[in-house]
Amino acid sequence: MTESPPRSGVTIEVRGLRKRYRSTVAVDDLSFTVEPGMVTGFVGPNGAGKSTTMRIILGLDAADEGSALVGGRPYRVLDRPLRTVGALLDAAAVHPGRSARNHLLWLAQSNAIPRRRVDEVLDLAGLATVAKRNVGGFSLGMRQRLGIAAALLGDPAVVIFDEPINGLDIEGIQWIRSLLRSLAGEGRAVLVSSHLMSELEDTADHLLVIGRGRLLADTSVRELVTTASGDRVAVRTGMRTEAMTTLANAGALATITDGETVTVSGLPVEHVIELLTRDGVAFTGVSAHRASLEEAYMELTRDAVEFGAAAGREG
Amino acid sequence: MSTVYAIRAEWTKLRTVVSTPWLLFTAVAVTAGISAMVTNAASNRTCPVPSPCLDDLPKLSLTGAQYGQALVVVLAVLVMSEEYGTRSIGVSLMAVPRRWRLYLSKAAVLTGVVVVIGSLGVLGSLLFARQVLPGTAFSAANGYQGLSLRDEPTLRAVYGTVLYLALVALLSYGVAAMLRDTAGSVATMLILLYVAPILTAVVTDPRWLTRIERVSPMIAGLKIQATTALDSPTIGPWQGLGVLALWAAGALLAGLLSLQLRDA
Repeated sequence: MTESPPRSGVTIEVRGLRKRYRSTVAVDDLSFTVEPGMVTGFVGPNGAGKSTTMRIILGLDAADEGSALVGGRPYRVLDRPLRTVGALLDAAAVHPGRSARNHLLWLAQSNAIPRRRVDEVLDLAGLATVAKRNVGGFSLGMRQRLGIAAALLGDPAVVIFDEPINGLDIEGIQWIRSLLRSLAGEGRAVLVSSHLMSELEDTADHLLVIGRGRLLADTSVRELVTTASGDRVAVRTGMRTEAMTTLANAGALATITDGETVTVSGLPVEHVIELLTRDGVAFTGVSAHRASLEEAYMELTRDAVEFGAAAGREG
Repeated sequence: MSTVYAIRAEWTKLRTVVSTPWLLFTAVAVTAGISAMVTNAASNRTCPVPSPCLDDLPKLSLTGAQYGQALVVVLAVLVMSEEYGTRSIGVSLMAVPRRWRLYLSKAAVLTGVVVVIGSLGVLGSLLFARQVLPGTAFSAANGYQGLSLRDEPTLRAVYGTVLYLALVALLSYGVAAMLRDTAGSVATMLILLYVAPILTAVVTDPRWLTRIERVSPMIAGLKIQATTALDSPTIGPWQGLGVLALWAAGALLAGLLSLQLRDA
């Protein structure tokens, strides 16, 4: 038996990754690092290149350019890789004519993982009672749980989940969120993708936003919200026209966002109050606008979404 | 060591799907059953002594292999194509990312299984013939030796047939690794095997007949069953099996390259 690989402190490093499928550029000069001890959300519209990037990290697809390393080495040269990296890419990709336990058994055997781990992860994923049933009869949610059990089989330092929340019920979603948190808490590097920002909002520490194969943001959740909010100020007033005039004269960009609100960008809150007071424009409220994470995400990926709708390709 | 673990995992994979036991049983049953039917039909013939009806009893008694091989083809194709059919190839390659290792492990398990079922089918065929033939026109009284593994050409025909089935399995496996599709691979293999015997029935030009017999994996390969007319002008038993071995080696190599070079 060789020594067990470390359970924490392993990173994923992606540098200058490029991948083209015939005429489509799936991944375009992508670079990022997934750090241990936190949940890194990998978000972008369908077809943005998330799955392709994950497949390249896992050695399933070859990059045209660039490198993807796990703990400093390409996945394809890892010995007993399940002890370092656990991944779930496609929960449906399991032979339907094999039982859940036997599926985990062959995986364990292939990486010299002790047989008792099979029962441990079956328990962990809440599948102990259906372990002997053929996977063909499993719901999507049960298959997701089986895929996650398989990913955790080798007690890996790096965990990669592609859209793990798809098909789960509320209980399953809560389960996976707390699982992701606890995996990161144990010092593992956790990379989890979603096409919906809201799924990762409360779970991810760090975000990689991708669109059309390019990295749009590599930032913490807090920073992203701050950036997207800009220095916009919302003014509630009955005198919209007058407010618009005053603010425009001061060189700010003002727009009427609804019946009572004018949104101003380019001026700090104090300055806005000062100007309105000077010109005698009555207002009932002034507040710094705060974007939701969802808005920030929409802003970042708008172009990529349009592309996705026109030439959508699951990627 | 990692290869040993990969082989063990592949064995678990193969034995834990419901289709495998059924396929293995059918392959043995078809090989032995059709052999028995052919032997039985021949044994009802009356032969004018001393002119022999049929010279090559070992070959006759192993006829079922020509049909049992179709199930071996299906088994061998499924070992690889099911990975693509169920998309579990991704999971397999994540567990065993060195692709040659996965490829060789599967091939090793497949070969082992086919050698076992091939042996059962072939020995079953032979046992039946040994029981039935002595009471017929092919008796010792008429100048026929009883079938015995102590007879060197008979022994060669017997283990040669097992080797033949193993090589057909490896050929099918390589084709499946190239095509990544069950139906396409099975169809390709059945055409590759069974078209030549049909052609030899309709082609009349002796030069073309010889050519077909020399390159056909089935006709050339099954020369390993011949125990008489060994100085045949077309191709000898070992050369014939060598032709099939070349086919299998080519397909195995092409399949490996396809797995190594293409995205999973």
